[in-house]
Amino acid sequence: MHGFHGRYWRFDLSTGRGEMVPIEERVLRRYLGGVGLGAWLLHREAPPGVDPMAAEAPLVFSFSPLVGTPLTTSAKFAVVAKSPLTGMISDGLSSSDFAIAGKSMGVDAIVVVGACAEPSELVRGELRPTSMWGSSAAATEAVLGCEGSVAAIGVAGENGVRYATISNGGRHAGRGGLGAVMGAKRLKALVVGGKTQTSLYDRERVLELSRALSRRSLGPATAKYRELGTAGNLMAFNRLAALPTRNFQTSHCEDADSLSAEELQPLRGHARASCASCTIGCEHLYALADGRTTRVEYENLFALGPLCGIVDPDSVLAASHRCDELGLDTVSAGGTIAFAMECAEKGYLEAPRFGDAEGLLALLADIAHRRGIGDLLAEGSRRAAIRIGRHSLDFAPQVKGLELPGYEPRALQTMALGFAVGSRGADHNRSGAYELDFSDDVDRLHGDARSAALATGPEDRAALIDSLILCKFVRGAFDDLYGESAELLRAVTGMDWNGEELETVARRIVALRKAFNIREGWLPKDDCLPERFLSEALPEGTVAGTRLPRERLQEMIVGYHRARGWTDEGYLPETVVRDLAIDSTMEAGNL
Amino acid sequence: MGRAKAWLPWGEGPLLSHVVAVLAEIVDEVVVVSSADLELPELEARVVMDRAPALGPLAGIREGLAAIEADLAYVTSVDSPFLTPHFVRTMLSFGTAAAAEVEGYVQTLSAVYPRSALPAAEELLAAKRMRPLFLLEAADYRTVTEAELPDQGAWRGFNTPEQYLEAVREAFGETTAHLEVVGRARLALGREVMEVPVGTLAEVLACTRPSLELLDGERVASPYLVSLDGRDLVRDARVPIGPGERVIVIDAQAGG
Repeated sequence: MHGFHGRYWRFDLSTGRGEMVPIEERVLRRYLGGVGLGAWLLHREAPPGVDPMAAEAPLVFSFSPLVGTPLTTSAKFAVVAKSPLTGMISDGLSSSDFAIAGKSMGVDAIVVVGACAEPSELVRGELRPTSMWGSSAAATEAVLGCEGSVAAIGVAGENGVRYATISNGGRHAGRGGLGAVMGAKRLKALVVGGKTQTSLYDRERVLELSRALSRRSLGPATAKYRELGTAGNLMAFNRLAALPTRNFQTSHCEDADSLSAEELQPLRGHARASCASCTIGCEHLYALADGRTTRVEYENLFALGPLCGIVDPDSVLAASHRCDELGLDTVSAGGTIAFAMECAEKGYLEAPRFGDAEGLLALLADIAHRRGIGDLLAEGSRRAAIRIGRHSLDFAPQVKGLELPGYEPRALQTMALGFAVGSRGADHNRSGAYELDFSDDVDRLHGDARSAALATGPEDRAALIDSLILCKFVRGAFDDLYGESAELLRAVTGMDWNGEELETVARRIVALRKAFNIREGWLPKDDCLPERFLSEALPEGTVAGTRLPRERLQEMIVGYHRARGWTDEGYLPETVVRDLAIDSTMEAGNL
Repeated sequence: MGRAKAWLPWGEGPLLSHVVAVLAEIVDEVVVVSSADLELPELEARVVMDRAPALGPLAGIREGLAAIEADLAYVTSVDSPFLTPHFVRTMLSFGTAAAAEVEGYVQTLSAVYPRSALPAAEELLAAKRMRPLFLLEAADYRTVTEAELPDQGAWRGFNTPEQYLEAVREAFGETTAHLEVVGRARLALGREVMEVPVGTLAEVLACTRPSLELLDGERVASPYLVSLDGRDLVRDARVPIGPGERVIVIDAQAGG
């Protein structure tokens, strides 16, 4: 077998034993790797209805056929689990050496089940007590890095914060609380490494394609990521009144330019970095006030800045760095704290108010250690709102429990649909619908059935890219993503792929994630946005008065389901299951 | 035109707001008939949806007549920047269906229609006789000659970017728009905002440094995207840019 190893390593932390489990070629062909294979493994390994924090809940690290090739941005892996935040599927992606080292164990995935009797580390198959419990992920990596490539949790994961991350090399599989799943297993770190090289079917062709993709990755399609990084979104979003501010009470932040890449870079830009095997180099490191440096992404800036009413760069960069140290998802941390700030202003809660940067920094640590009010906020905004009551759920910024990223849904209404129907909750990376809003193909301020039908396109493309796996930032370098991806896969695996088959693979992966959620209790009412977005008009600027009425969103949801061939309610008909050849291990009755 | 006429800048705000303000000086009741897929600026007017926008202006007039309480309605299209209160008052003063006839053409969208013509409008639509003139004829309208009209040219509209820009220059002289660049273009240009003469988007973007290559023929070049006043996103560089308008150049790879 070329490109794949045809097996995964299943390690039971309760028994301390691991085993190799074969994966049939037809499964790899149907789900590729990354989030696709990860979803298939989760569906196979997770007992229906399992508590995400229970020992039986699996934690999947999934590689891909392109990992280990010289293709730019291919050193990526997916972490997949049932989310403790949403109770549905969560699939986070991360990058760099861990992917290459993990696949060099001669496996396409690692599945961890069970739980350790005491805080432990799993180092190249050896389960042993850890002395790193209580340390940051970075410190853990520094200690264990000599034994292999490390994925570790921070204090937040140890304490079961429902939006804790898993970190490697300063990057994070960030969303949905994957770190809490690992922490519940008392597993501080997973260290991987091996000597098995991935066989390539046509090495010369792979090299040729790699060179071509690398050349294109240096062109205009990725220029924004190279020159500004994702932080380049902030000023543009603010100009378009799409920058969520003060817990989504408004979509424009008067002084937010001070946080923009355009203004920060000349003052604080320190260096650029890139993942292993990447030619883009989107990571922009900025100087903190104390001289250290931190990676800056748009989501960190928005969530810990304008969303909390904070525009002081020192404070926002420090908060971002603190989240990294503690192992907190910045989006959910910022979203939950912004929610708490609004509750405080309404008198529902004793918490910092909007603009209180010191309060924010203190609260991040309290959340990670579950101290005081931090214990409540460690549960995420939905659970906190349910506990607080007083209709605060109406303005808890979440879908299915996952906090919204930095895209104001009323100003980006195709993205609003993507948030509502997203299998892992309010999520921009799996949906990609913002691509349509930032084009002249749709009216971003007035979604309709047409934009709903178009929304399946970027979601399908994301499912493919996240399963190959390549970085989404290179997507613009493809003229024909499906056709060119088939060519890459043919050269790597020797299998006879074509673009049409990969389009089916993408739709299958989207459907499988949905199938998992249905099995775990998803209901049509879960595909919605909080009341604030459906009843309050945007208050300011050129988009003042813009609304997203409930009826419009519902029409878009139905349009999306119809475009997918699902029932109007969002269930998968037998015909779709059959046509997509969703694996027979997924019981039709559960769909 | 390449963009909604309702949002074209005129004076202090969108053209639709200007037209509504002119009408509101004369009448107590302003009704705006709009298609459901067009977001409108906030208006001091009642907005009703055109159930059949594809049927043309007669269907819109039908919606408006069904919505009003007064006996007579002055009907105008949104592209009437030179409309004056005096003109509207004069047209309503005839107390009956009335339309100006200019150079042999009946101005059916600068005309007065009686609410009582609503059944006739329904019948015409059912019979697929879609011209508003048929409704005026059914209402036995009065022709208003050019000699009777105040404010010559108040009925004038426009249908192309060039006609709109000509109207802008006539009304406001040589005016400017704000060109704002963010993202990579800003790093390259070294400044954020420029005052540039109004014109088509292509003419406005041409005021920047050519090496930025913001244009690709009649389109905005693919690495970039342009927002008008932070609302609409456009790539068609033929669209007109009005006075005081903010033209914002952003990186096309927004998001991610």
